Amino acid sequence: MSEVKKRDNWGSRLGIIMAVAGSAIGLGNFLRFPAKAAANGGGAFMIPYFISLFLLGIPLMWIEWTLGRYGGGFGHGTAPGIFHSLWQKNRFIKYFGVIGIFGPLVIFIYYLFIESWTLAYSFFALTGKYTALMDQNSLRSFLAGFQGLEKNQYFSGIGIAYAFFLATFLLNIWVIYYGIKGGIEKLCKWALPLLFIFGLVLMIRVMTLGSPDLSKPDWNILAGFGFLWNPDFSALKSAKVWLEAAGQIFFTLSVGIGVILTYASYLKKADDVVLSGLTAAATNEVAEVIFGASIIIPAAFVFFGSVDIKSIAQSGVFNLGFVTMPLVLNKLPLPALFGFFWFFLLFLAGITSSVSLAQPAVAFLEDEFNISRKRAASIFGIVSFILCQPGIFFLGRGVVNELDFWGGTFFLVVFATIETVLFIWVFGMDKAWDEIHKGADMAVPRAYKFIIKHITPVFLFIILGMWFIQEWLPIIMMKNIPGADKPFVLGTRLGLLFVLIILAILVKIAWRRKKLHGGRRV
Amino acid sequence: MKLTGWIFIIFSWGLIIGMLTFCFIKVFSKKEAK
Repeated sequence: MSEVKKRDNWGSRLGIIMAVAGSAIGLGNFLRFPAKAAANGGGAFMIPYFISLFLLGIPLMWIEWTLGRYGGGFGHGTAPGIFHSLWQKNRFIKYFGVIGIFGPLVIFIYYLFIESWTLAYSFFALTGKYTALMDQNSLRSFLAGFQGLEKNQYFSGIGIAYAFFLATFLLNIWVIYYGIKGGIEKLCKWALPLLFIFGLVLMIRVMTLGSPDLSKPDWNILAGFGFLWNPDFSALKSAKVWLEAAGQIFFTLSVGIGVILTYASYLKKADDVVLSGLTAAATNEVAEVIFGASIIIPAAFVFFGSVDIKSIAQSGVFNLGFVTMPLVLNKLPLPALFGFFWFFLLFLAGITSSVSLAQPAVAFLEDEFNISRKRAASIFGIVSFILCQPGIFFLGRGVVNELDFWGGTFFLVVFATIETVLFIWVFGMDKAWDEIHKGADMAVPRAYKFIIKHITPVFLFIILGMWFIQEWLPIIMMKNIPGADKPFVLGTRLGLLFVLIILAILVKIAWRRKKLHGGRRV
Repeated sequence: MKLTGWIFIIFSWGLIIGMLTFCFIKVFSKKEAK
């Protein structure tokens, strides 16, 4: 029997619920969801959205919580070890688990820079640096100057953005350095309630906008909500709308990344996963469907009307968050205060997600190489700092999009499919059902035994197949990438392949060391 | 906003708030019992 090192634990049940919800609630809840809903049938989008939530999102959530707690019992907090614990006879399965460290690491290295923009804009809002700008072009130029994409009257280089990146980076490493209970749990326990307060304040502000321009009475808040919620049932005939809804559920619940596996590995054997998982998912849904849908799109409708709102909704997440929303808030009284609320809300959503993305790599070093958390956090800090640089300096050359595709889309669905297959067919559905219910504070409805065994994997395979044909193939073949950006995209791919190979080698070394020491941890 | 829009917003928000309330009541009642 292997000697299992004493691992970190959550201090309370609320702690892990807040941490998993914090990991799930990110910039996408406030920017991606409303844009997707508006572009894909409005209220009708909620039909495939809820179907995906109950048939795909929640089952995957329970699978990951259960696998994580199971692996934690063997002293493993990441997918290589967890997969190996599930299927000990298979020598290769641990290498598939590498995706569960690679994916979050790749997301972390570009997400952190974007997160640092929200911290910077919170500061700019309070100091009034952009609050006098009253048109889209000025705010776009402000953003491009800040990102270092152009030199203009607002910024002469990337220096300020880099300073905020460093501050955000150090803040993240500092939280990780203090561990699960002392760092991540503490952060999430105050950040999540604060995020909800800011979300509520902004929602109430938007709901009380009325019709600010008396010459345009049709541009009112009720019509703004109508733009987002009036259903267009014809959209449901499109397979794309169903895929978009399933994709949104994937991204919003943070399933398929490997983060929930790691977080759940710090649970005790008799801790509940059913109720805790459902509570974390419900908390995330409030942030998305209630706050996310009530702020940016209805507010933008009131100021830009029914014609422009369509192009705004499709203008991309960065444009919505860093151009449209500040412009709307600049047109209202107290722009500094509400601008700060908006960007600090995004920052809190960002940091509670980014610390979770760092955790699998840190846990891997701790658990499989038996090194201390502080040393693991320091190694992670050095490596991830180097890896963050291409996304910062080649932002305009397609590097971030490329990182997002591999880390945040492609491997996410592949990983979810692997863990579902392992859970159902290798672990075995009956054993898996018993494992889910260990220490459970509520019973999973019996129908879910059928759903998890038959519907969720079929759903996953359909998504995997459809995305591959419709969306991934052109991306993989670099069909829509400008010629000048192709070397950067290719360089990013080679870099990612290198990271993947290094992680696989580390897994091999870790297992060889354990074998050499007679199954004992070294 | 159309009536169908209202129906969708009330259904969606009701479902989510209901789910959250149900979960947190259960979470806190268990905590007290322990």
